[in-house]
Amino acid sequence: MSTRSGLLLVIGLMLMLPGLVFANGGGDKDAAEDKIEISYYWPLYEGVTEEYRLALETAFNESQSEIEIEIIPVDWEQQHDKLTTALSSGNPPAFATVPTRWLLEFVALDAVEPVDKYVSPATMDNIADGLKVAVVNGELMGLPVAAGARIMAYNADLTTTVPSTFEELREAAIEVAGSTDAYGLIMPGKKHAELSDFVYYFYGAGGDFFETNADGSYGKCTVNSPAGVKALSFMVQMATEDEVVQDGYMSMDRKGSQPVFYAGKAGYVLIGAWVESAAADSGEDFNMKYAQIPGFEGHGSAPLVVTDSIAFFSDAGEEELQAAGKFIDFWYQDEWKPQWDELVGFPPVTVSAAKLPQFQTPLYQALNEAAVNAKGWPLMDGFAEISDTIWDANEKALLGMMTPQEALDEAAAKIDDLRGM
Amino acid sequence: MSTGDGSPVDFINGFLSLVIPDRSRMCGWDKMSNSRARNWTNFPSITGLHSMIRKPSNHSDKPVMDRRRFTVGSTSLLKKTFGRESLLAYALLTPAITLIVLFMFSPIAEVFSMSFHDTDRLGRMKELVYFQNYINRFQSREFWQVTIRSFVWTAIGVTTKTLFGLVIALLLNVEFKGRKIARLLFIIPWASAAPISTLLWKWVYHHEFGLLNHTLRSIGLADPPVWLGEPIPAFIACLWVDIWIGIPFMALVFLAGMQSISRDLYDAAYIDGAKFRQGFFRITLPGIRHMILIASLLSSLWTFNDFIVIYILTRGGPAGSTDILISGVYKTAFEWGKFDLAAVMSVVTFVILSIVSVVYARAYFKKED
Repeated sequence: MSTRSGLLLVIGLMLMLPGLVFANGGGDKDAAEDKIEISYYWPLYEGVTEEYRLALETAFNESQSEIEIEIIPVDWEQQHDKLTTALSSGNPPAFATVPTRWLLEFVALDAVEPVDKYVSPATMDNIADGLKVAVVNGELMGLPVAAGARIMAYNADLTTTVPSTFEELREAAIEVAGSTDAYGLIMPGKKHAELSDFVYYFYGAGGDFFETNADGSYGKCTVNSPAGVKALSFMVQMATEDEVVQDGYMSMDRKGSQPVFYAGKAGYVLIGAWVESAAADSGEDFNMKYAQIPGFEGHGSAPLVVTDSIAFFSDAGEEELQAAGKFIDFWYQDEWKPQWDELVGFPPVTVSAAKLPQFQTPLYQALNEAAVNAKGWPLMDGFAEISDTIWDANEKALLGMMTPQEALDEAAAKIDDLRGM
Repeated sequence: MSTGDGSPVDFINGFLSLVIPDRSRMCGWDKMSNSRARNWTNFPSITGLHSMIRKPSNHSDKPVMDRRRFTVGSTSLLKKTFGRESLLAYALLTPAITLIVLFMFSPIAEVFSMSFHDTDRLGRMKELVYFQNYINRFQSREFWQVTIRSFVWTAIGVTTKTLFGLVIALLLNVEFKGRKIARLLFIIPWASAAPISTLLWKWVYHHEFGLLNHTLRSIGLADPPVWLGEPIPAFIACLWVDIWIGIPFMALVFLAGMQSISRDLYDAAYIDGAKFRQGFFRITLPGIRHMILIASLLSSLWTFNDFIVIYILTRGGPAGSTDILISGVYKTAFEWGKFDLAAVMSVVTFVILSIVSVVYARAYFKKED
């Protein structure tokens, strides 16, 4: 090839490049004119099947001539990072399911829209008012999708003891571990997105993460209070002295450790409502029963309650958010949402579904009872780093690198420092 | 130089000839009886550079610039800079340079800028805070722990990979039946996607059902470590996976180098009574020293920045004991939303790796001189 033709070729290619880009963009625009494309970050709840996700996506897309949804499955451990990246790039999904405590971060960034702008009044009216907790500055910024308190499940083939305090739970777990070849209690020791199991024992000892100021705002961190130390000491004792928890607990997060219970190899587990469907999925057949997570002696039961919400992201565009609202109207019908509730094991959030016979079982009775005394996570911006810090303290105490008191003192000081206190 | 059988060694040879076109000269093999290595005018050139280089004289094996052709006159210089061939070269380079500036230099500049600004949780820059982010980061004990751990991680990782790579290259350089298959098998860890290899090791390390602990139990170790749940075992476990993935690259680069050394040298040495050890230290090692430099530099950069292994195996845990700078950057930015502090850590990483690269480059070119 001569130099001249080489130059001409390069110049020609460079000129063609923008043309190709615009041509491609034009094609996308044409497609967009036909259909509004939206995406939904769908975190992978235990129990919810891939078949359900696909069936829902297909059914909605077939019912709509102008909207095309892509429901993107995302592992819970990646959901926060993925959303942060998407929002940073200015290309978020139209909507996503998030733990309600994350909403404050998104509101602070002015990244989310009030949900009742897009969801129809009929759907909103069918959601129990008590579950509409994601109210910030008088506006509902997150649509309730799942709400449930944590409970205790036990393998009645291994034990019939229903402990009413954590001290009794310890004795019962020692009994199971000593008299059978199963573990007494499941305890994840590896850091994961949620600060369980520490919070079960912490709330059960009457603990709170922060002081509450007179104006209702959060003050200094109190995770190193006597309640915190009691909770962590109890975990260390069960794991390292009594040795009643599953082997290798330090390398197991929630998802890794709970299958040991589903396999019928543990007496007790402190868990969420997904336990029934997840255990059924595992294929093991044992007599599983439910009870309330107890408190320590002198304290009542105070289980954790978790609420998840659907957030609508401003940067997705008005048209896309309207389309997302239509999807919610479709999904929250009794034909679809109760199926999801059943799979995930949470009590239904819609009034009409709550009356269905499948939600009148012992599991849902236990969940309803647990909700009475339940406590939620602190609603504050930046809780992810605080949770990480407390997790580190848990790990240091469980590994024997520090005493529970030392580990929690260090964590509390670091958290106060993080918050500028 | 080439085995001619289309094996991975051929690929590595091809790759190296692109990176170091004049390898034989750099290794000093040109002084040997390899006539092809003596022919300095065979190197491809699109700018006519080869015409400026004449064959070496009898007194020196180094190429000599022809000063008569290398006129410093302004007309000649202009002609070279804006001549037809040069314009073609610029035109061909323009797309690549544009892409590099767009996708490499501009993000680097953005990160530098971010490190001097306060940012929100999405990394949007707010006010200029000058060195405050650096001060905050440098005052943090965790930052120094993570930085020191990164050095330890890299030093052990690269040294082990180099040693294992050398041993494997020596073994693969021996004539035996099935050598080609062995070479192909050795490349599998490097050719496989790193996340898949890492996931595989995650299962191997599983405390209850993993192959490693099963083996340890079966040979009588009743209480094997919780590999991913205790600080030191977790660090070793992560490091081993990084090493396991990186060894084949080192081995194949060294093997390619070893195969470039003339057999005549070994024959002559052995006739004179040299032992294997002397052959290795006097012929093999000097013959591949430039490859060791290049391979260990690349390996240092990759090992220092090995995010995948740590993220998949431990996510930096337990209690932060496997966090290195790169995993710390991710955690600080995307989990905690502190992009400004993460930018500081990125800049520190950039500076460290730049210094390492410069030190290597100096060593490399010093030897060449």
